[in-house]
Amino acid sequence: MADYPSIDPSSFDLIVIGTGLPESILASASATAGKTVLHLDPNSFYGNHFSSLPLDHFSSFLQSHSHCHSQQPNISPPTSSSNCLHLKHNNLFSHVHISNPHSEYLGPSNKFSLDLSGPKLLFCADPMVNIMLKSGATYHIEFKGVDATYVYRGDGDDKLMTVPDSRSAIFKSSVLTLKEKRQLMSFFKTVQEHILELEAALTSNEEMRRARTISDEELECPFIDFLTTKGLPSNIKSIILYAIAMADYDQETPLLRKDFVIKTKDGIKSLALHNMSLGRFVNASGALIYPIYGQGELSQAFCRCAAVKGALYVLRMPVTALLIDKESNCYKGVRLASGQELFSHHLVMSPSFTVPLSSTISSIRDVQGDSSESSSRSDVEGLVARAVCITRVSIKPDLSNLLIIFPPRSLYPEQMTSVRALQLGSGLAVCPPGLFVLYISTMCDAVAQGKELLHAAMNALAHLLSRKHESSTTMESDCVEEDGPNFLWSAIYVQELRKGSSEIIVSCPTPDGRLDYRDMLDSTIKLFHEMYAEVEFFPETEDAENAENDE
Amino acid sequence: MASRRRMLLKVIILGDSGVGKTSLMNQYVNRKFSNQYKATIGADFLTKEVQFEDRLFTLQIWDTAGQERFQSLGVAFYRGADCCVLVHDVNVMKSFENLNNWREEFLIQASPSDPENFPFVVLGNKIDIDGGNSRVVSEKKAKAWCASKGNIPYFETSAKDGFNVEAAFQCIAKNALKNEPEEEIYLPETIDVGGGGRNQRSSGCEC
Repeated sequence: MADYPSIDPSSFDLIVIGTGLPESILASASATAGKTVLHLDPNSFYGNHFSSLPLDHFSSFLQSHSHCHSQQPNISPPTSSSNCLHLKHNNLFSHVHISNPHSEYLGPSNKFSLDLSGPKLLFCADPMVNIMLKSGATYHIEFKGVDATYVYRGDGDDKLMTVPDSRSAIFKSSVLTLKEKRQLMSFFKTVQEHILELEAALTSNEEMRRARTISDEELECPFIDFLTTKGLPSNIKSIILYAIAMADYDQETPLLRKDFVIKTKDGIKSLALHNMSLGRFVNASGALIYPIYGQGELSQAFCRCAAVKGALYVLRMPVTALLIDKESNCYKGVRLASGQELFSHHLVMSPSFTVPLSSTISSIRDVQGDSSESSSRSDVEGLVARAVCITRVSIKPDLSNLLIIFPPRSLYPEQMTSVRALQLGSGLAVCPPGLFVLYISTMCDAVAQGKELLHAAMNALAHLLSRKHESSTTMESDCVEEDGPNFLWSAIYVQELRKGSSEIIVSCPTPDGRLDYRDMLDSTIKLFHEMYAEVEFFPETEDAENAENDE
Repeated sequence: MASRRRMLLKVIILGDSGVGKTSLMNQYVNRKFSNQYKATIGADFLTKEVQFEDRLFTLQIWDTAGQERFQSLGVAFYRGADCCVLVHDVNVMKSFENLNNWREEFLIQASPSDPENFPFVVLGNKIDIDGGNSRVVSEKKAKAWCASKGNIPYFETSAKDGFNVEAAFQCIAKNALKNEPEEEIYLPETIDVGGGGRNQRSSGCEC
């Protein structure tokens, strides 16, 4: 049994359990706003499901946080003035499959830094980057650019097509016909004009509204229809939808759920973000960047910012129960594994924990109003299937960091979602020199469907890799085995998606299936304002303004 | 090439809470000392220009920001350090005994490419207290431990009087400079998201 330290003081404005990214941002924003914050994590490292881990820790984290593994809560007796609600461990992962055919090539485990919720990237002009600038988190992270983005085409000869995402890329593209280049240029011009109009919108009047390049009606229509009315051919529509606007679901099927349809205004917002990202930072060649050492750096940076603002940090400290005031039935505090009781006005909890709901606490109910049962399954809103593979060859010989989009129907006709694969090399300090890490993910409705998509994408990638292999080592035919040396190691798993929620306690969202952090940040900001309605989320400081001016 | 990186030397200061890590930094960088102890708030890192053999370097000295109190420093804090300073209070035996834990923690977390030769510097702080009468860790004892760990340089300091602080940091800077940079991670250059702020930033006590 571990020897737990005792914590003083025993009362805080906010207690945060878990150091996932939303929790860390909330801790940092609250400490910046002058709140006293205690931030706890049962793990010995930062980041929880948002962390980047050495190879062996990665495997053991997946296994210990999957469904087949259950953890018995400690039972502790209730105290006189409060009722106890024992926290239940909520395993987000399931169907973990790790395959380790060529571990002899891997080298030491601690040379890897593998993301638990990859692939994720940041757009240079992302709101997340702005928040990191404002909070000072950027002082603790360094980034490198993604070298190129490709779209996979199942039928074409050259299966990977460079995404013509900028004026110069369109100009240089060898896959577009002259007519397609003109269409794409003129489309980007329309979008550009619309964005300029939005910027000037402060001075707009009714007349200007009507004269807009894109009408209000059009903005509310599906983006796919808008692209069609602009006369874009289907291959270009596909690039814009899935490789620039990063749509997760097939936009061209009539069966698409209504909330998955991308509206023109949102599509254009994504294009604008993409456009603003190009050239925002010197020596970032494209729109996307990735933190050196992995996305786990983000939560650590926010925790560090929180600590600098006075938040108290205690790792390796499990919380066993919530204390509920007997009279008011309100949240009052937490009980630690050490037995110590600590109190706070607010509680933020990572999605790894759930409170078994009981009638003792009237204020905490899940959305369905089901107050008698545990909330464990009811609020799962979807699944994301993820894979991590380690290879010895880059998919593109001269590049190491690249993004590959498998748009809907590119792998097989029934593919309803985008599959994205991100290859990273040792320059990002995520693996030893000479190796590459591939992150693959897709949304899915069912486990079997998700796994089928991952396997199809992995097969397509393995095929691309073995072609590289053959051409470079034609002499040594023994190098090319069935699907042999392509993946030295791989892990496939399925993760539950949960949204953040806030009642008396705030429950943070799980890592999502998006490529970037925009949705996660939006819901985190919302949770912050639900706790502190009147407080500004990371107010502008002189420091941040200076940094902005330098750009 | 990696010139920007080499001009910037990252130094981290480790040791138990209350041994005077922040005070030592403040004394060295701002020549200030405050008797009022507060667990570190508001300091991220301090920077100071140092000259060495006709070249200017920026010493970036990182504070633990209180995260050492419950041994909760993240791996990101340790990574990329060019020198690690271990501080104990000569009046508190436990703080000396813990140096070994801090050193091991650093080597595990930072995993430097050549752990045997990674530069550490040990400081025995607060020698001014009670005219040295309350002292429990002798110079001999501290030096013996330093010798057993590959001849770590040892300095006795007083952050309050400023005694030996300059000399200690001279040694720290010199050793940080000798440390071989970590491979090719910084090649090609990383993206400067903060608009050059990383080099210039000097946050902390404005009082």
